[in-house]
Amino acid sequence: MAKQRISRREFLRDASVATSALALASIAPHSVRAGEKIGAQLIGKLEGPELVLDPAKWPKKFGEAPMLAAFVKDGKLPPVDKRVPEEPMVVKPLQSIGKYGGTWRRAFTGPADAENGNRIVSTDKILFWDYTATKVMPCVAKDWKISDDGKVVIIFLRKGMKWSDGHPFTADDFVFWHDDVYLNKDIQPAPHPDFMVNGKSGRLYKRDDYTVVFEFAEANYLFVDILAGSTSIGGGQATQQFGGRTMGAYMPAHYIKQFLPKYGGGKDEMDRKAKAAGFDGWLSYLKNRWDWRLNTELPVLAPWKTVTPINNATWVLERNPYYYGVDTQGNQLPYIDRISMGLAENLEVVNLRAIAGQFDLQERHTALSKLPVFLENRTKGNYDIHLDPSLNGSDATLQINHAYEADPEIAKWLHTRDFRRALSLGIDRDQLNETFWLGVGTPGSVAPAETVPYSPGPEWRKKWSVHDPKQANEFLDKLGLTKKDGEGYRLRTDGKGRIRLELQTVAGSFISHTQICEMIKQQWKQIGIDADVKEVERNLSYARINNNEHHITVWANDGTEVLYLFPRHALPVDPVEALMGYPIARWFASNGQQGMEPKDPQLKKAMEMFRSAPGKKAPERIKIAQEIWKIIVDEQFSIGTVGLSPAVMGVRVASRKLGNIPAREINAQHARTPCSSHPTTFYFKS
Amino acid sequence: MLAYLVRRLILAVLTVWAVSVLSFTVIQLPPGDYITSYIAQMSASGSFVSEQEANALRHQYGLDQPQYIRYIRWMGMVLHGNYGMALEYGRPVGEVIGDRLWLTMVVSVAAIIFTWFVALPIGIYSAVRQYSLGDYVATFVGFIGLAIPSFMLALILMYLGFTFFDLNIGGLFSDELAEAPWSLAKIWDLTKHLPLPALILGFAGTAQLVRIMRANLLDELSKPYVVTGRARGLAESRLILKYPVRVALNPFASTIGYLLPYVVSGSIIVSLVLSLPTVGPLLLKALVAQDMFLAGTIVLMLGTMTVIGTFISDLLLMWIDPRIRFEGRK
Repeated sequence: MAKQRISRREFLRDASVATSALALASIAPHSVRAGEKIGAQLIGKLEGPELVLDPAKWPKKFGEAPMLAAFVKDGKLPPVDKRVPEEPMVVKPLQSIGKYGGTWRRAFTGPADAENGNRIVSTDKILFWDYTATKVMPCVAKDWKISDDGKVVIIFLRKGMKWSDGHPFTADDFVFWHDDVYLNKDIQPAPHPDFMVNGKSGRLYKRDDYTVVFEFAEANYLFVDILAGSTSIGGGQATQQFGGRTMGAYMPAHYIKQFLPKYGGGKDEMDRKAKAAGFDGWLSYLKNRWDWRLNTELPVLAPWKTVTPINNATWVLERNPYYYGVDTQGNQLPYIDRISMGLAENLEVVNLRAIAGQFDLQERHTALSKLPVFLENRTKGNYDIHLDPSLNGSDATLQINHAYEADPEIAKWLHTRDFRRALSLGIDRDQLNETFWLGVGTPGSVAPAETVPYSPGPEWRKKWSVHDPKQANEFLDKLGLTKKDGEGYRLRTDGKGRIRLELQTVAGSFISHTQICEMIKQQWKQIGIDADVKEVERNLSYARINNNEHHITVWANDGTEVLYLFPRHALPVDPVEALMGYPIARWFASNGQQGMEPKDPQLKKAMEMFRSAPGKKAPERIKIAQEIWKIIVDEQFSIGTVGLSPAVMGVRVASRKLGNIPAREINAQHARTPCSSHPTTFYFKS
Repeated sequence: MLAYLVRRLILAVLTVWAVSVLSFTVIQLPPGDYITSYIAQMSASGSFVSEQEANALRHQYGLDQPQYIRYIRWMGMVLHGNYGMALEYGRPVGEVIGDRLWLTMVVSVAAIIFTWFVALPIGIYSAVRQYSLGDYVATFVGFIGLAIPSFMLALILMYLGFTFFDLNIGGLFSDELAEAPWSLAKIWDLTKHLPLPALILGFAGTAQLVRIMRANLLDELSKPYVVTGRARGLAESRLILKYPVRVALNPFASTIGYLLPYVVSGSIIVSLVLSLPTVGPLLLKALVAQDMFLAGTIVLMLGTMTVIGTFISDLLLMWIDPRIRFEGRK
């Protein structure tokens, strides 16, 4: 074998890149004494703007930004009362009516960071949540209705609502998406699960210009939540029609038609036009044209639209003159004229710039580990720090592969309930919390926050999820794993050495899962279980998962707080990311045609309960979710560590110049944080 | 001589072709493809992709076809001057690289100029005045430069710059000028941002060059031709610069081959840390995202640059060093 030659410099470089995230924090002087909780006082009261739903209280006169008033004066734009719908979305700002103007400065990390902007403009969703993220609210649709049998969901659009180019927005834009895009096999080869119930496709049609009907063959009471959630059908134009995606339920028909072969003169003609524009075919061109981040001409419903595309050094958004939201005095939203996101090639630079006060509001890519430095520079940088704990149970979840087979002995133990419980009881979550979450997380199981309706109750956060090495050792002894080697590690029953569990972690996660697992490995010494922490590149981790090779993979379980909308980190039901067993997810997704049936009867039961839920009305559905969580926690199908923390997108750096900034906002995917706080109401005080 | 050049040229073309096959293959060796990395990216940023969407995208990008067909299609496009679409950017590869290419050159050339202007005089000085105080200082600083990873230096300088001098952090332009069209103000802005990256990028190279220059020159200084020159009464400065320094320059000329790709790709990690809008970070991100068109084109470009650079340094060596010239004639 050729000897690998690595110079010391190269070695140093490689080794320290991994730890460079910590470099800045350690340079900074330590102003915070050990043992002092620095985070608790930064978590404020949950608050946010509210929608005024009673039409009698809606404003009759409208105001507009000076920037737009100038256009109106020049005759380039109709007056504001012609632009705002007769039935606008009326938002009561959190603190006060704002002032117009200003540019909101942020950072983004490149074209892959689309969510950075998507999440700000998510009021182009059909339905949405209130600021607590628990109650469904109107959004693009002013109202909705579900039939008693749950098979028909009707949404009502706002009269007089317009696209950002002034063209009316009507039910025809939904019909166009459904008939010409969704049902077009060239664009959408297979129906989408979000628009199906029990494997049967739904359909969409218009009743009149302002009424759209979604119809299903079976009861689908969940569909209202799906329309409100961050789902493929209800996620809105910006989030569902970028990067090649095709969903979102509506589209600007008057603009997109010209790029479809059906209306644009056939495929050959469209291919020719696409090639002239530098694309390999009409489909790529079409998908580029409906991508709001790339196409500045695209009509949108969002409060801000792209003026400098995301593939530049800055991604700049500017106000949509036809936005459908107003404040309680009738001033058209948003208050802020422009959002300018500067490209930062790495996260250290984002954090350093945030510390220097170069961003007005940034909750993305800001790291919890930098908290001491953030706090130290608060006055100098003229910003406040708010911590927004998430609703999901565990930021570092040990997802056990319930389909593992390669090593029968390991498989046997992973699929034994008491073994899993012992692993969980062997983790000292307080130590993890203090070390990696600076003590601001909450130790516990995978179950979501108690404020979430699906929560099975506080006792399930603790169940089998406290540090009790004594009980853990009793469990393992009872299982017959009594033989140990010289160092105290338990031996396999087939005589092939220690029981050695592989903990697969993914490079580049929000918090260092690898370092967390190294600590768990140390803690497991007490219960005689050896672990092998393996950090792999993301793609490799997916390949290993899909080949059914991993024992345990560690990942956050964010999104599981809305179990039915994003179940993949709670149950093995989605083959795209099947951390808990790829063959089982295949089995579930194909209705038992492919893959492998789960051997564990409790797991199968939980999955069947999950499948039955969309057909149940809300109260029953909530009960089922609670039962599912109880099973998951009691069986320890996946092992939670520390959660309900601000580690992921929960460290908010907000300039003191900004008004209407909530002390605490919901930090959750379905709430499209920060969109549930209506960024359209944020404003510059001076 | 001509036959030699033609032979070198043909070899160069073959090498570039081999580079293209290798780069395209190597880039696709890791498990997964652009779509798996897209799914991972979405998942890490709190969004998600369904299996149906993933398959439709794979089909659209032709990722469901065998690799050799993809290579032939890519090569067909490259020969027509079309490098394909950068998948993540949704823009033609040529455009995406073009934006950054010449900024990269500005930064790298600045770094090289810095390196040479500092390294050569110091190298000569510390050889001629071996074991003097100046030599020790230069050696000390040089070894520090070699020992500190440059990205670390970048992080430290950025933090100090921000804390004590309120300097801008990273980047090559101020925020308000980043998207502005070119103007005198923008060029001045660039000039103001340039010294820090040039210094950091050049520092390690400087140290290395000082050591090489010193060692080479020390070898030459004791040779008889120097003594002869001195005996014949040549002025010391003229003697040293005209003869031994010229010989000692050999290694510089022979490394020009590596300099050209360096000018284009720069130092990836430092650029990343300093958030420079250069080609280096682009290559890294393209590799992580498995965007084979973008990464393939950059690697192909670097390969071509290396081949051209080697060719140039062969020519330069022949020019500088008569001994090589004469061997070539035999």
